[in-house]
Amino acid sequence: MNVIDLQNVETIYEGESIPVIHNINLTVKAGEFLAIIGPNGAGKTTLLETINGILPYTAGRGFVLEKEIPIYKTAIRKEIGYVIQNFEIDPLAPFLSKDIVMSGRAGKIGMFRFVSKEDWEIVWYSMGLVGMIDFAHRPIGRLSGGEFQKILLARALAQKPKLLLLDEPFSNLDFSTRRQIEKLLNRVHEKQQMTIVIVSHDLSFIPSRCSRVIVLDQGKIIMDGEKEKILTSTMIDNIFHKKGVNQ
Amino acid sequence: MIDIPLALLFTSILGAVLAGFVCSTMGVFVVRMNLSSIGYCMSHAAFAGAAFGLMISVDSLISAMVFSFGVAFVLGPLSEKARLESNVVIGFLFSVMIALAFVFLNFIPGQAASGAALRILWGSIFSVGYNDLMFLLLLSFVLIFFIALFYKELLAVMFHRKLAESAGVNTKLFYFAVLFFTGFSVSLSLRLVGGLLVFALIINPTSTAYQFFYDFKKIMIFSPVIGIVSCLIGFWLSLITDFPIGASIVIVSAALFAFAIIISPKRRKGNGKQRKMGFKLNT
Repeated sequence: MNVIDLQNVETIYEGESIPVIHNINLTVKAGEFLAIIGPNGAGKTTLLETINGILPYTAGRGFVLEKEIPIYKTAIRKEIGYVIQNFEIDPLAPFLSKDIVMSGRAGKIGMFRFVSKEDWEIVWYSMGLVGMIDFAHRPIGRLSGGEFQKILLARALAQKPKLLLLDEPFSNLDFSTRRQIEKLLNRVHEKQQMTIVIVSHDLSFIPSRCSRVIVLDQGKIIMDGEKEKILTSTMIDNIFHKKGVNQ
Repeated sequence: MIDIPLALLFTSILGAVLAGFVCSTMGVFVVRMNLSSIGYCMSHAAFAGAAFGLMISVDSLISAMVFSFGVAFVLGPLSEKARLESNVVIGFLFSVMIALAFVFLNFIPGQAASGAALRILWGSIFSVGYNDLMFLLLLSFVLIFFIALFYKELLAVMFHRKLAESAGVNTKLFYFAVLFFTGFSVSLSLRLVGGLLVFALIINPTSTAYQFFYDFKKIMIFSPVIGIVSCLIGFWLSLITDFPIGASIVIVSAALFAFAIIISPKRRKGNGKQRKMGFKLNT
């Protein structure tokens, strides 16, 4: 089964005329661990947000879990765990870590339904999986960068998603925390056979279980293949050192 | 101190309690969602609407609601698409609403009406009628029901709207529900607190509660409690000093907020450690 199937997809932001991503053809099978790499401004986040329907595409067709994205976007999102690129958080924000993890299940539980004991069990399990169970009652604003990232990951996992989208989960983290998150992702993929798509602009932090890499530049997929082949390609060096991709 | 018949005193106290409850309950969402500028405009639109109602001899509650919802209807979608800076919202619509309100007040015919006009400007203990009380009571129950039923969705939206949306929550629905209930709360509290100050009753108690708690549930409980206490003390202050009730309530709630800032455990050194990835102060 194809978890993601994009056919000639193009996304233009409202009020703008130039597409951020265009001619995107991408198929991701169930259980794949895929990395999307590219320089800043390549359209990586736009691609992720087009997949989960937050940004509507303007041309082409897109399917997630064999459902057309614009028609079933709310249903699709309940099956997608999304870890957003680092965002600013008020250190005095009035939220406990456990509540943030539970908030990931809000859509899945559904409207007019209360949080059940089973939902809390899933939350504790997700927090345990990322090693944050002792931080359950810690205010979210008082966590370190790495701890916060783990809570966001636990939040996405608490959704019990079929697809996990991770937008730059390693940015702004120190080396050892990056390694911890990397191990964690490998473990999640190994244990749950989940389809994972990770976005990164840092080539040195692509988890070992990730087998496929696509390279995005100026809104277009310019390479798609096995991780080893892509990462050793000279084109990669050109892109990341701004020598131009068409040379 | 003013002598007031017992029935009127009871109505006024109940009005103050309910206005404190609805405004400071909505304040939790308004503050967290950074809707202060919209809410501010809505409260002044309600004020202009009430003045318009007096001018054309229509129930000022109805005209206040129409104006308030009108502003929410225009500003909500505009602000949601981030096409409008909050400073522009305040600078433009706030001043327009105040200007309109004064124009309408100027055209209110007769001496008696000018007294009514002044009451909507700074509020009055005696202006809370039986109907207002019933509406406030109904709104209080609806709010309790709404929050209890949709607590998990509201918490998700309050934390991060895009993340909530990505998890399958209909964030637009809750955004507009917050605007809608804020409009109701402002319009129904207008006669008690006054058009110029009603928004302080939304912001101050919540901002006070934010100084003490990290748990959203506790903020949801204590913000209305602080709102009610502010209203009751303000009411008492108004009785003994003959200050306008709106001003008294706002002075009390502002004093509580200032005191909270001083003693806030969240602001003590060593607390609220800055995260490496940067932070923004919302409260």
